[in-house]
Amino acid sequence: MIAFLLRRVVSALPALVGVTLVAFFVLNLLPSDPVQVWSGGSALSAEAAGRLRSELGVDRGPAARYAAWAVALLRGDLGHSLRDGRPVAFVIGDALPWSLALNLCAILAIYGVAVPYGLVGASSPGSATDRAGGWALLLLYAVPPFAAALILQQWVAVGLGWLPLQGVSAEGASLPGRVWDLLRHLALPTLCLALSGWAIVARYSRAAFRSVLGREFLSVVRAKGLSRLRAHLRLAANTAVPFVTLLATIVPGLVGGSIIVEQVFSLPGVGRLYLAAVEARDYPVVLALTLLSAVLVLAGHLLVDLLYLLVDPRIRTALLPERTDAI
Amino acid sequence: MRARALCLVALLVAVAIAPACSSSPSTVVVPPGGAGYGGRFVYPLRFEPLTLNFVTLSDQTSDYVARLVGDGLVDRDADLRLVPRLAESWDFTDGGRVLTLHLRGGVRFHDGAPFTSADVKYTYERVIDPKSRAIGRIDGFLPVERVETPDDLTVRVVYQHPYAPALAAWEVPILPRHLYEKDDFLTSRYNRAPVGTGPFRFVSWETGRRIVLASNPDYWGGRPFIDTFEFQLIPSQETTLQALLAGEIDYASLSPVQWKAHAQDPAFSRRFETVRYLPLFFLYIAWRGDGSTPYFADPRVRRAMTLALDRDGYVSTVLQGSGFVPDSVFHPAVLAPDPALPALHYDPVRTAALLDEAGWRIDPATGRRARAGVPFQFNLLIFSGSEDHVQFAQVAQESLRRLGIDMTIQRLDWPTLWSRLQKGDFQAAVSGLVAGVDPDDTAYGLLHSSQIKGGQNYAAFHDAQVDAWLEAGRRAVDPDERRSIYRLIDRRVAELQPYTFLFFPMTQAAMSRRVRDIRPSPRGIIAQYPGVLRLRVQ
Repeated sequence: MIAFLLRRVVSALPALVGVTLVAFFVLNLLPSDPVQVWSGGSALSAEAAGRLRSELGVDRGPAARYAAWAVALLRGDLGHSLRDGRPVAFVIGDALPWSLALNLCAILAIYGVAVPYGLVGASSPGSATDRAGGWALLLLYAVPPFAAALILQQWVAVGLGWLPLQGVSAEGASLPGRVWDLLRHLALPTLCLALSGWAIVARYSRAAFRSVLGREFLSVVRAKGLSRLRAHLRLAANTAVPFVTLLATIVPGLVGGSIIVEQVFSLPGVGRLYLAAVEARDYPVVLALTLLSAVLVLAGHLLVDLLYLLVDPRIRTALLPERTDAI
Repeated sequence: MRARALCLVALLVAVAIAPACSSSPSTVVVPPGGAGYGGRFVYPLRFEPLTLNFVTLSDQTSDYVARLVGDGLVDRDADLRLVPRLAESWDFTDGGRVLTLHLRGGVRFHDGAPFTSADVKYTYERVIDPKSRAIGRIDGFLPVERVETPDDLTVRVVYQHPYAPALAAWEVPILPRHLYEKDDFLTSRYNRAPVGTGPFRFVSWETGRRIVLASNPDYWGGRPFIDTFEFQLIPSQETTLQALLAGEIDYASLSPVQWKAHAQDPAFSRRFETVRYLPLFFLYIAWRGDGSTPYFADPRVRRAMTLALDRDGYVSTVLQGSGFVPDSVFHPAVLAPDPALPALHYDPVRTAALLDEAGWRIDPATGRRARAGVPFQFNLLIFSGSEDHVQFAQVAQESLRRLGIDMTIQRLDWPTLWSRLQKGDFQAAVSGLVAGVDPDDTAYGLLHSSQIKGGQNYAAFHDAQVDAWLEAGRRAVDPDERRSIYRLIDRRVAELQPYTFLFFPMTQAAMSRRVRDIRPSPRGIIAQYPGVLRLRVQ
């Protein structure tokens, strides 16, 4: 088991190095450097630009800069943002909690609606509920997120005044008060993110449940006296494999930002940070964020591999033939 | 599923606690009985400041905050006239080479420490220190030879040569030396919690969300009327308008589409006052005149290009009048317009004559202009993210096509556009510039031959006469003499047209009617002095 895990981790390392290399050289292909971007529309003389360039070290070649970055990384140092001089870990640490909170809410909202719908739809395929629900989710999927965001803001926040229009905060006299304030601020962006997620996950879970519900053993347990609902709930465990596969996309999605939703709702999340860093050619921040998402993608896959071993005895015996009793 | 829900609760709790711990307690200012004091003014920011270090900041939003928390030695009022701030008065001696500034006495920083000339000297030293990366400040201090402080309230600045634009650089808010000296300058905690002598004290900065300032009751210039000055970060222009409508913010600049939809609406006007001003930003076309293309090295061709473009028509129709077409390189508030400057109005007949004269004649076989077999066709670089760039380029393309010239348009993202401009890798390009408040700021960068390599003279304009005048303009301390020098430059540039100055787009904004006693300067409603002190809310 340990050996299996170690093998997977070691085999992931070249992929990580590759990802950062590609990200670094793509950034360097862009025909501009941070100094040019910063000077923007303001007047910066030739003398001043030259001084700044050598001070920041951007006059060195890309290979030298990558090497310096990689060496520092091995010491656990992600470097400092070129834009504001703060340690990269701080910069990302400011944005990460908001993205995590939003994405967790969105995942809960998506699965909380889509999985029950999948089960209902799968137990009575072709029924009015199944078809109406399918159409409704497909329609919601077709709404572009920025349009949905603007419409929701206009109706719910400006018109009715029920929820905050934009921004995010967690303020209040007590802890429940703060959580409530945070949830109110996250409600509209969560809904926007959920719109497109619902249709996909609902289709997926409906298909997964369908593949199990038609099987003969269901009739057997029903015949033995289990109620329909309980029979379905028990059988849900057999659909675990496809859901575990989905986890591989969810884990990296937790820190991935949604640029549009963050932009429209003024959320200071990872998506906006990524965009701003690329635009400013802030290499250390871009590289750290790329590294973070690469690590999470690989971690997601690793987690999925592990869970497969847990939920599916067939995979367990195939992969670890010698000591199946160890788990 | 339950485990996941528990994780969520834990995370929500963590997020809920974090801001409460990190933000400093807000200062409660007890309003005295005086009428008109109190209230909160909320201003939206599209971009987050990178730092609030007065010296290293280089973006507009950081500058807004710095001007409220700190005081410069001088500043500009709503009409861009020079006004005293921490310096009560100043004089030039030694033919303009020595600037002596007399500082205001009894001024204290927000932490109670007195402000002295040592703080001014320290601020200067940090600007010129290469380690500071003071990109937005350094140019004005490069000609300084040394800064002397004969006593606590006098600063004597000796320049390498007479330097007339000197005062523009002294708008830099003064740093508290006693606080910064103990820290590493670039990572000091005061870079995110600044201390100054200004009318507002820093309260908190919640990353990605807002910056809160509270009025300084002991301000030497009198306590400001409003109690709380809050900057909210709202990156989307659509959301900014919605936030204004929802009453969350007090001011919003409007896109042309938003302006059209709301400015005439009586229900909107009842709640909001519409504001228009001509900011310092303008668009121009640089014609690369260094001979790398066969077209634009000839001033007659460049003049013909300007005359071929209907700038007035564009401003009156596409921009619906919300813009100003200059023939000068200077904003009208920076240098009063010269009545003798010839206007270069749209004139296709004169364009054709100039082009014929320069040898670019219509080839009867194709109907296109060519000289010695070389067709007149060139590529115009534009910034794809700006409506003005895209629309103006399309109008220009059609005007030129009718004159027998084929222009292709290449849309670029702005870092790429800047990079091509900087390398001179283009034939013609639309670009924009924020003009400085001193005429030298704009003209020297665009026109002096020393700024071709690495500077902003993208047209590669090289004229010995203009170079000499630009240098004279830096040395002339007498305002009348300076004005006449810059007018000479304007006339010469109008003749040689290394650039076509397209237009200054008007800023259109809406402001809550509860806000009183403020009018915008060309730098907006915040960057002016002492205007912000008098801003009040009902």
